[in-house]
Amino acid sequence: MSAPDPQSADNQSDAPQTAPPAPRPFSFLRGFRVIPRIETYPWVVAFAQTIAGKATILALFGLGLYYATWLHYLHNPRWKVQICFLVVVTALPEYRRIVLVLGTICWAFGIWWQWAEHPQIIQAAISLVLAALIFSLAIRFCTSWFGRRPVATLLTGFALTVLLTSYLPRGGSLRIMSFNFLPVAGAYLWFLAYSLIDISSKNRDSVALQVGAYQPIWGSSGTPFPKGSAYLRRIEAKNPEQLAVAQLKGLKLLAWSLILDVFLEYVYKPLVHGYLGIPYYEFVFHLSLIRAPFTWYIGWASLIAEFLGKLVEFSIFGHRIIAVCRMAGFLALRNTWRPLASPTIAEFWNRYYYYFKELLVDCFFYPAFLRYFKKWGRWRLFASTVAAAGFGNAFFHFFRDLNYVDELGFWRALAGFQTYIFYTIVLSVGIGISQIRQQNSENKTETKNVGWIRRRLIPPLCVSGFFCILRIFDYTYKRYPISESFRFLAHLFNLVS
Amino acid sequence: MERKEAIRKFLQTLLARKSDAQPFSDDASLFLSGRLQSVDAVALAVFLEEKFGMDFAEMGFDQERLDTVNAISSLIEESSNARR
Repeated sequence: MSAPDPQSADNQSDAPQTAPPAPRPFSFLRGFRVIPRIETYPWVVAFAQTIAGKATILALFGLGLYYATWLHYLHNPRWKVQICFLVVVTALPEYRRIVLVLGTICWAFGIWWQWAEHPQIIQAAISLVLAALIFSLAIRFCTSWFGRRPVATLLTGFALTVLLTSYLPRGGSLRIMSFNFLPVAGAYLWFLAYSLIDISSKNRDSVALQVGAYQPIWGSSGTPFPKGSAYLRRIEAKNPEQLAVAQLKGLKLLAWSLILDVFLEYVYKPLVHGYLGIPYYEFVFHLSLIRAPFTWYIGWASLIAEFLGKLVEFSIFGHRIIAVCRMAGFLALRNTWRPLASPTIAEFWNRYYYYFKELLVDCFFYPAFLRYFKKWGRWRLFASTVAAAGFGNAFFHFFRDLNYVDELGFWRALAGFQTYIFYTIVLSVGIGISQIRQQNSENKTETKNVGWIRRRLIPPLCVSGFFCILRIFDYTYKRYPISESFRFLAHLFNLVS
Repeated sequence: MERKEAIRKFLQTLLARKSDAQPFSDDASLFLSGRLQSVDAVALAVFLEEKFGMDFAEMGFDQERLDTVNAISSLIEESSNARR
């Protein structure tokens, strides 16, 4: 749960190592980088601080955003809005947070909710007003019982509202309005949670600046990228040199995401699904659902291909968001960083989806560890990990997809969530055990003397294998029972035909 | 001074686990700079609970306030004043 963060804020590429470097083959390639570390070249940093330098970086970044959009034949104008925002924020660094607030509001009402299935601007406006009200109330009553547990109160309140709404009569206007509003409010839920965490800070941001971090202009999902307003305050570039470094890193990250995108679209997919003829995982799983025959090795091939492909897709998604964020002058950490090199389950999860892990750490792990499991002794860490990666993870996903609650009713939707609940249980227990093993191994000096294969190759392979198989249960759509996932798993081992 | 020394010694232990032997001043950022991570924040919280009797359940947990030796020292001071 609380595994090491993927990268240092100062040096994204030089992530802190959890263990001393071991001798490795191909060590002559160690210093090689596909994209050079231009942010460490003094003349590049100096140039990036000039008007010509800023214009060059912005032009290159705009070109990159345009190409990324073109690559997927999208006609979405978001890249134009983002580049306009970046020009303004680069020109007015002293007003960065205010420009961010304005940009985010324009983004929310002009692009984000306008481009939804049907425009949901009114719902978004109500959600933001409600968020501001809750934030102000939480400050006003910060010493009360609820005020001292603002996130728990918020999440409980939201869950109860959804539960009560599910009992409203079907077809009624109140139910329709409520289920139009709740998913929009849910999209802001975790952003508001970060604001409520910020209340205890001495120099917390005002409500206006908090709103600037809600579904920000660089894009986000239900998971806040990169965390909340408090985090932005901490990672904001404080001088022209820091801004130059942040922008150079943003440009590099966008370039890297484009390289991955080109690799995925023009190399990986044609090779794997075209030349090698490995079917898509959804197709093979569908064959299992309808009891159509397929060989076990085709099942494995499609699962592994899906696992690797999704890793690359997910990296691209996170890199694009963080690249724009960095260009705006916030030196945020990457969302995904070399997950396949993770020697432990905890570290894989940390490296795969850093900001979701951080969300669960901040909203579930810390409160559980510091408040609720204080007297659990050696089980304290494990129990808190299960509370976050298990309960928190399931809570997040269940209340994210509220259309199922509307369609199936609360309890049937919960029953249909069984596959994902199983997934979170296995995942959280795996992370918990991984952390305990990690702690124990830190106390043993002899394990540090093992060779490269046992240290660098076998653990990442086992960890990747665990997550690859677990992917069968990483299913939130509530369309089929868990037995189908187990059946597919049995098929992989040739136990069913 | 003794308090700062105890904090410094514990932080050095945490950094040593990551093979980080670089020196750090009392104002040097450890968490926001990425030298220490959330697992270390948990270890630090347990250390502060046991050694200085701090109760994060009461005072709230903010990683920013554990970022430097000086910040931790101020936090302990604040916590002991609140208990009196």
